[in-house]
Amino acid sequence: MLPTVLDTFWTSLLIQILVFGLFALSADLLIGHVGLLPMGHAAFFAVGAYATAILEVRHGQGFALSVAGGLVAATLLALVFGLAVRTGDVYFILLTLALGNVVWGAAMRWTSFTGGENGVSNVPPPVIAGFRFERLDDYYYLVLATIVACAVGYRMLVRSPFGLTLRGIRESESRMRALGYRVEAHKLAAFMLSGALAGLAGILYIYWNRFVSPAAAGFLVSAEAVLMVILGGSGTVLGPFLGAAVIIVIRSYGSAYFVAWWMTAMGLVFIATVLWAPHGLLGVAERFRRGRRMEIAGGRLASEETRP
Amino acid sequence: MTPAIETVTLSRSFGGVHAVDGASLRVPPGQRRAIIGPNGAGKTTLFNCLTGVLRPTTGRILLFGDDVTRMPEYRRARLGVGRTYQISNVFLGLTVLENVVLAIHGTRPRKWMIHRAVDRLSDTHAQALGELERVGLVHRRAVVVRALSYGERRQLELALAMASRPRVLLLDEPTAGLAPAERERVSELIATIPRAVTVILIEHDMSVVMGLADEVTVLHRGKVILDGPPEAIQGNAQVREVYLGRR
Repeated sequence: MLPTVLDTFWTSLLIQILVFGLFALSADLLIGHVGLLPMGHAAFFAVGAYATAILEVRHGQGFALSVAGGLVAATLLALVFGLAVRTGDVYFILLTLALGNVVWGAAMRWTSFTGGENGVSNVPPPVIAGFRFERLDDYYYLVLATIVACAVGYRMLVRSPFGLTLRGIRESESRMRALGYRVEAHKLAAFMLSGALAGLAGILYIYWNRFVSPAAAGFLVSAEAVLMVILGGSGTVLGPFLGAAVIIVIRSYGSAYFVAWWMTAMGLVFIATVLWAPHGLLGVAERFRRGRRMEIAGGRLASEETRP
Repeated sequence: MTPAIETVTLSRSFGGVHAVDGASLRVPPGQRRAIIGPNGAGKTTLFNCLTGVLRPTTGRILLFGDDVTRMPEYRRARLGVGRTYQISNVFLGLTVLENVVLAIHGTRPRKWMIHRAVDRLSDTHAQALGELERVGLVHRRAVVVRALSYGERRQLELALAMASRPRVLLLDEPTAGLAPAERERVSELIATIPRAVTVILIEHDMSVVMGLADEVTVLHRGKVILDGPPEAIQGNAQVREVYLGRR
């Protein structure tokens, strides 16, 4: 399909959009449904990537076990960090920010385990049932299949009674408790699911990049996830992928011109989104569609009035 | 008979303020009990202790004979304690129907279900529509609660409490802020609650109290100063004195 007509640059770009879209989607489970703003989500992304890379490179483990290890590591980290879920609002933001930095610090300084600034490199391509995903095009399809499965599962999850429960918590925790919900348990479950998905994004990333460094755990990565969600449209499945597409395309094309100004550009995009498109690009599209419909309805009304 | 709710010298203080101060009450199953008293008498604090929002400083709370004094709020809810709030506490960003579905699922394991869409659960859907029918909000089911009028939100508040099928229902000023016609409507709604449910309501409107209550408890400065049938309370000199400070 697509990669056959695209060159390596574009295939790579598509893979990044899908991977970071999934990462943003994992953050949006908390942002758009539970109503929590995680500012350290790169921790799960990085731990998934590191655990898989270390298992592959240093312990010579196969694809299945390395992926499972990455997923377990990210989920366990989310369970531990889930303690932060006990708080809400600004405390949640600050605690996730701090915990994200703890993971970044570990990646940086725990040299014997993480490789420090050098990171972990030379991760081999995935091998499934004897097939080596050596070529970028082949790997693209593996990523695409994984993302589609995740998106379908995610959609099911947010439309299920469990998903509605999360939105109930967003709207009123006190009422949820009075109705018999153990709010903390639901929040912790959502946090672990979100962490596992972020970890999976990290795993898909490491098999594409073949290398992971502490930058993957950095604040910039966490902040970008939030920006992608808000830019694309929070509380939807498509929004985070749309946001990821915009950010990654701009970065890939623009970095030649404004590599030093990237942070500034991102900040401006963020401010513009919050001010003029609080529901993201999908919100703008929806408004445009509804506006047109009202215009048409208005036009019809006007013509009826002028009818003799 | 074992009371539905019993408190034994229940106290709750905030710093030096004794909001509830040694209050003992026994509410038999199926009774409609009104709790009246001037502002600051400790009525809402008493409710918050009964539902588990607040831990009492001293004293005990029994639910059908079982000690629930230290039990968390969500577990009491599962044992059948339902409530409404003085200031509407509903899910503003969700639709009316979603609000009721959340209330129905609260006491059931189904709230953890992840493999089916919530709008495909026909039994939940039917029950939710039934609850909305009862409060007269069926035609508003697809509306986001933020768009409801104040009166409609009060009705939804009641629907949420009823949808969780409580055995004991605590109503905190259900008619507060309503126009006379709406007040009557809500009173009628409360009157249709089956007798299997024990109802305790905080209410300032004496006509509502007279119409609904079997027994009235007068609270003043956190203490129960009087307990009796509505007729006896209405003519009581002490009660009038308690309220005089306010009027």
